[in-house]
Parts: sequence; structure tokens; C-alpha cells
Amino acid sequence: MKKTIDIMKEKRKVPQGVKDKIKAFNKLKKKILDSLKEGEKTIPEIAKEMDDDIDAITYNLMTLLKYGFLEAGDIDDNDEYYYYRLKNKE
Amino acid sequence: MVESKEYDVLVIGGGIAGEEAALNLANIGYKVILVEKDLSIGGKMIHLSKVFPTLDCGACITTPKVSETARHPNIEIFTFSEVQDIEKHAENDFSATLIENPRYVTDDCTGCQICEEKCPVVVEDQYQWNLVGRKAVYVPFSIANPRIAVIDIENCSLCGLCEKVCPANAIDFSQVEKKSTIKIRSIIIATGFELFDPLLIPRYGYGKFKNVVTSMQMERQLVPTRPFNNVLRPMDGKMPDNIAYVLCAGSRDETVGNPICSQVCCMYSVKQAQLLMGALPMADVTIYYINIRAFGKGFCEFFQQAKGMGIEFIKGKAGLIKEKENGNLIILYEDIQQGNVKEAEHDLVVLSVGMLPNTDFTEIFKNSRVEQDLYNYVNKVDELCCPAKTNIDGVFVAGTSTGPLDIPDSILSAGAASAEAAGYLNGGVK
Ligand SMILES: Cc1cc2nc3c(=O)[nH]c(=O)nc-3n(C[C@H](O)[C@H](O)[C@H](O)COP(=O)(O)OP(=O)(O)OC[C@H]3O[C@@H](n4cnc5c(N)ncnc54)[C@H](O)[C@@H]3O)c2cc1C
Ligand code: SF4
Ligand code: SF4
Repeated sequence: MKKTIDIMKEKRKVPQGVKDKIKAFNKLKKKILDSLKEGEKTIPEIAKEMDDDIDAITYNLMTLLKYGFLEAGDIDDNDEYYYYRLKNKE
Repeated sequence: MVESKEYDVLVIGGGIAGEEAALNLANIGYKVILVEKDLSIGGKMIHLSKVFPTLDCGACITTPKVSETARHPNIEIFTFSEVQDIEKHAENDFSATLIENPRYVTDDCTGCQICEEKCPVVVEDQYQWNLVGRKAVYVPFSIANPRIAVIDIENCSLCGLCEKVCPANAIDFSQVEKKSTIKIRSIIIATGFELFDPLLIPRYGYGKFKNVVTSMQMERQLVPTRPFNNVLRPMDGKMPDNIAYVLCAGSRDETVGNPICSQVCCMYSVKQAQLLMGALPMADVTIYYINIRAFGKGFCEFFQQAKGMGIEFIKGKAGLIKEKENGNLIILYEDIQQGNVKEAEHDLVVLSVGMLPNTDFTEIFKNSRVEQDLYNYVNKVDELCCPAKTNIDGVFVAGTSTGPLDIPDSILSAGAASAEAAGYLNGGVK
């Protein structure tokens, strides 16, 4: 059966910007998930291990939280930063 | 030749004002077509947390109205659609071109979001005012109506995964824009307002300093379907404990072309401040204001209640916002009472952005022009006797298309528009 996606492929090319967005998200996703494999961390703790901007880490971490890759734990002792950990996706 | 569909009334815009006007007319038997540009009806209100001064839950009030509009047998809704080339031929005789944009998802969609899980593209979620990402295929938001997915084709990588996994076979990339002609007897413009873009005031640092947010972004942080797991700073996820509000950001300001008061910012800021005190009991909240405009029923009491809760009000005009390395912000402001310039540090700043006219209505008529008032809203040509009347007989206006209004006043204005439209349809009011 012909999938309708082929009709769109005949009409449009994928813009480079979209390819770049996929790459950027996947890169940060991997870094964040790898970092959290070691255990739960706050955003500044994750940021310390990477050279990416902290706001990009926050944005992507929150997106991973939204899509169920992560869950939020307790807040730290200073009541400032939440801990985030990997969620078992079943 | 395809027959054009006929309706009694065309309502343009499905915010609270458009829904109210459509329902009033549908309830007395008129056939209504409601055309909404966005993916869902509900307007701005559907995205709000609670409403002033009662602190009722915004979604709890608006969703029953949204579903009543969507289910009404006398209302036909077209979302993600627009009207163009409206022509008046005679009294009670208008035609228009209806443009339905392709969603690339059919009505068979159940909103299961399986496609969303698989889609590899992440872009900013406009329904969370860009605080978090969404996929290229997405259900706009949880209480969207219709609650069906859409493909953001500009950001689609054409991987085809959504089509492969959709259990309802609802993905359809063969959809194209549809154009048809409709005939109507009367029109209500309810296209609402635009939010002021704070990038136009570069000295406030919005866009550059991540911990400077807009009031709409704060509304989203205060709803259960918030972008983060709590109210947090967008820069580093810190729970803020010293929040500032800068009122009149883009209102009462000739330099940005908007000299008038937006009427809602004082009260929604007082509302948000109270909600923040509930969400973050340890936080200090300071409101920098020029004047507090608490003119409606219960508004002054609401303002006093905020003071009683410990929210600090400083009569001061914020001039400049600077960022420290830790993301905290320094506000330089003129202390209006003392007549000197002061500095204060906060860890999150909310810009209470104002309302601007949405001027779409100037471009959708073909052989006539809807007059604008001094501030570019729809001109009410007989404000005292017929508050919904425009310069074109048979065309009425509702809600914030007429100027800045809060929700109760938008509903009242929609009541007037529907009553005047009914009168016109019966050969009375023009
Ligand atoms: C941050 C914030 C907080 C607020 N809090 C409160 C509160 O607590 N209490 C309160 O009373 N008020 C509050 N308000 C004000 C409230 O949002 C408005 O009063 C209300 O949304 C106005 O409704 P409306 O239908 O006139 O306009 P809108 O909500 O703007 O709806 C207009 C609709 O028309 C659609 N549209 C636009 N152009 C077209 C077109 N060309 N074709 C088809 N459709 C079109 C839009 O997509 C939209 O759905 C707040 C406002 C803001 C910004
Ligand atoms: S398009 Fe298909 S997979 Fe996506 S939400 Fe709709 S039914 Fe679910
Ligand atoms: S085809 Fe487009 S919308 Fe569908 S999953 Fe792939 S990128 Fe996402």
C-alpha cells in the first residue's frame, strides 16, 4: 500500500534547519540520559559535566520530562533545585 | 458548480467572545458558522490558570463553554481555517471565501499521542509559550477542542513514522488546502487581541535573559499542565524565591506605539502574585507599578487581599534590567514616591505584557473596509446606543476586537453583538 508520506516527499524537501534540530536534540538527549544513568541529579549538577548552555539543558531536560523519559524527585536541601532521574519506560 | 453553503451568521474567531456570540445566536435558532484560525477554539482564556478576582479555575469555566459550542447542532466550526474576500452584496447578503488549512491528520484521530512519542523532531511548544519542546506531530494541548493531532509540516522530517504507528490510520499527507464559498446574512468579528511583544523593549532583556518571562509564560507555569514540574526559572530550573512583576510592559507607552492601558495587567498580576504565594510559600513577590487600576467589582478588595498576603507593591517605573552571572536580575527603577532611582535584585522577573489590537479584520473584506478606531481596534460607530455596531451594516464586533477587556466584559460585549445581530437578521437594527 502506498503510504501518503510518499506524496509529501514528492512535494517537499526537508529543510536543513529541521535536520539540525533533530541532531541537536538527540545529542543533548543522549548526554542528559547518560549523565542521569549515574543517579539522580539537579540541573546545575548536570550542567557542570557539559559545555552546553544551562538554559539549553533545562529546555531539553524539561522536554524529556514531558515525554516521560525522566521524573522529578525531591528538591535539594536549600529548596532550590529539584533532582531528576531516569524513568523506567514500560 | 459547487453550491455554496449558507448560514445566518459568520462568527470570526473562537475565543470566549466568539463562542458566547455563536451560542447566543445558535440557541435562538440561527445557523452559525464559527471560523477559528488556530488549531483549537478557546482563545487566550483556555490557556489561563485562574481568573481574577474570584480565583475560579479558568479551564473549569471555559471548557464547558468550549464543548457546548463544539456540540451545538446549530454551530458548524472550522478550526485552522480563515475567511477572506468578504463581500457585501445587499443587506442580509454577504459572501466569503473559507480557507481550510490541511492538518495532515483526519478526524479519525483519537488523540492517543502515539505518533507524538515516535516523532523525532522537537521544536518549541507555542502553547507553552516556548518554555518546553513539542514534536512535529502533536495534539495542540490537553484540553484542545478538537483534540486531534496536527502535523507541523514546516518542521517535519518526512520520516513517515507517525503514519506507520498511528493505530487509527489518521495520518494523511495527501491533504491540501481547501477553498469554498459561503453565503451569510450577518457577521460578528471576534478576532481578539495580540500580546505585546516584549522584544520591542530591549532594555528589559527579554529573549536575552532567560529569567525574564512574560505574564503569559507565568500563566502556563501556574496551571496543572505546566511546562515544568513546578514554577521554576527557565534558565536553570531553580525554584524562584524573589519574584518581581513589571507592570505596564508595553502599555501606556507612546515609545512603543501603545499609549493606552491594557486594563487587565494590573489585576492578572495581582492574581498571579497571589497564586505564586500559594505555589511557593517561601517566595517574596514584588510588584512595580505606575498606578494600580482596580476599577471593577471586587478588584480593589482583591488588591487589598494581595497586600494582606505580604505581596510588596512599589510605585516605581522599571527602566533597565541587567543580568548577573547566576541568572539573577537587577532592576533599575524610578521610585515615583521618593523621586530617585533605585536598584533591586530578583531571581525571576515577569513582564506584565499588555494587549494590542489584532488587525486581521482590516484584510478580510473585499469591497468594503471595517473602520479602525484611534488605537487600531474595530471602531464602534455608535458606542452608546449599539455598542457592537461597526461602520458596515450587518457586521458587528465582540470582545477584545473592540479594545482591551477582561473576560466578563468580553462576554458582555458578545451578548451585545449577538443581540444586535439577531435584530439585524430580523430586519431591525442595522
Ligand atoms: C496573561 C493574561 C492573563 C489574563 N488573566 C485574566 C483573568 O484572570 N481574568 C480575566 O477576566 N481576564 C484575563 N485576561 C484577559 C482575557 O484573556 C481576555 O479578556 C479574553 O481572552 C478575551 O477574549 P476574546 O475572545 O475577545 O479574544 P481572544 O482570546 O484573543 O480570542 C480571539 C480568537 O480569535 C482567533 N482569531 C484571531 N484572528 C483570527 C482570524 N483572522 N480568523 C479567525 N480566527 C481568528 C484567535 O485565534 C482566538 O482564538 C488575561 C489576559 C492575559 C494576557
Ligand atoms: S494521529 Fe494517530 S497516533 Fe497520532 S494522536 Fe491521532 S490517533 Fe493517535
Ligand atoms: S513524518 Fe514528520 S510528523 Fe511524522 S513522525 Fe516523521 S517528522 Fe514527525
